[in-house]
Amino acid sequence: MTDEQRIEEFKRAVQAGHKVEAGDWMPEEYRARLTKFIEMHANSELMGALPERDWILRAPTLQRKLAVTAKIQDEVGHAQLLYRLVEDLGKPREQIFQDLISGKTKFHNVFHYPTKSWGDVGIIAWLVDAAAIHSQSALQRSSYAPYARTMRRICWEEAFHLKHGEDIVLTCMMGTARQKRLMQEALERWWEPLMMFHGPPAPPETDKDLEWGIKSRPNEQLRQDFLTKYVRRIQEIGLTIPDPKLRYDERTGRWAYTEPDWSKLYTIVTGNGPASQARLGFRRLSYEETAWVRQVVTGGAQLTA
Amino acid sequence: MHVYEVFRQEAEGESMRHVGNVDAPDDELALQYAREVYSRRGEATRLWVVPRAAIVEIVDPDFLRPPLDHGYRMGEAYRVTVMKRRQITGKEASRDA
Repeated sequence: MTDEQRIEEFKRAVQAGHKVEAGDWMPEEYRARLTKFIEMHANSELMGALPERDWILRAPTLQRKLAVTAKIQDEVGHAQLLYRLVEDLGKPREQIFQDLISGKTKFHNVFHYPTKSWGDVGIIAWLVDAAAIHSQSALQRSSYAPYARTMRRICWEEAFHLKHGEDIVLTCMMGTARQKRLMQEALERWWEPLMMFHGPPAPPETDKDLEWGIKSRPNEQLRQDFLTKYVRRIQEIGLTIPDPKLRYDERTGRWAYTEPDWSKLYTIVTGNGPASQARLGFRRLSYEETAWVRQVVTGGAQLTA
Repeated sequence: MHVYEVFRQEAEGESMRHVGNVDAPDDELALQYAREVYSRRGEATRLWVVPRAAIVEIVDPDFLRPPLDHGYRMGEAYRVTVMKRRQITGKEASRDA
């Protein structure tokens, strides 16, 4: 069998539902795409801890402070799970971190923005996590089994985050006019990033990650799923979605909305978002400050070896 | 650093289930990391960490699922036994006929 035949056979197998394990043979293109995809996901979990970190000290009650802290710990835990997958695919952790802090690899658009108020914390935990659950649930059907299994655990924990966020939003919406305004303003800030979250509506037949079964649902379908589930939930609590074109088209069975500026998404994820450099700077600083811990841990290993 | 595979028992009496892995310099830290990553919400009553290098694996379908008829090992093959009982006792004979 030639290499090309072997690759074609692999592709047919994953398209027919075959699941790949870490130690199995896989085509180089599959390994490379998988590494890039999971690494970006892992970076997003790690960088996603930072916007909320700013609110540990400012959370309004002790209960909220504990819940925000637990959510942050979960996000870093998710990064740990995902970085292990990337390491097993052949990329050393040192290299992963170097590429992240030098800006060579990317993280998700929503983590390139600042958090201006407590309203943002609620909207992020509720709606950004809801959008993330839609893509991560679909990833439970990934052809790469270790990733699919990791998604089951991550989705289970994200479900708590979503409830935590919804509770923050509902509490404010039951409060004073000022609290309601805080939430409305936060939704207005986050709606555009949310609509960009699932990426441009690329035709499914040209999406290589779909072709290899790395992901199982096209970008636009994920966005439609999100809108179907959340538009009503957002509106019925008295919030106004800042998009006059947003409506459900009965005829096509799809949501119409103002097309986001996709070049802006590209600008943001390549490190030019309003908080991109500050976040990377913080990650760089913390990587340097924790160098001694890594030295102690790996140095200890050498002593006992 | 070594990769340790992590197994978790979710309730007393249940089997240990593989949940993932951690990278650690020694057994003690492997257990600490495993607890931190796989039992933050008290999901485990017991944890095992096993150096990946200690795992011996086989994924050969010819060995694991040989293409032979092993029907006599399954309940399906014993449907005929039910028929025999009916023949002897005469119960439900009309339906079987």
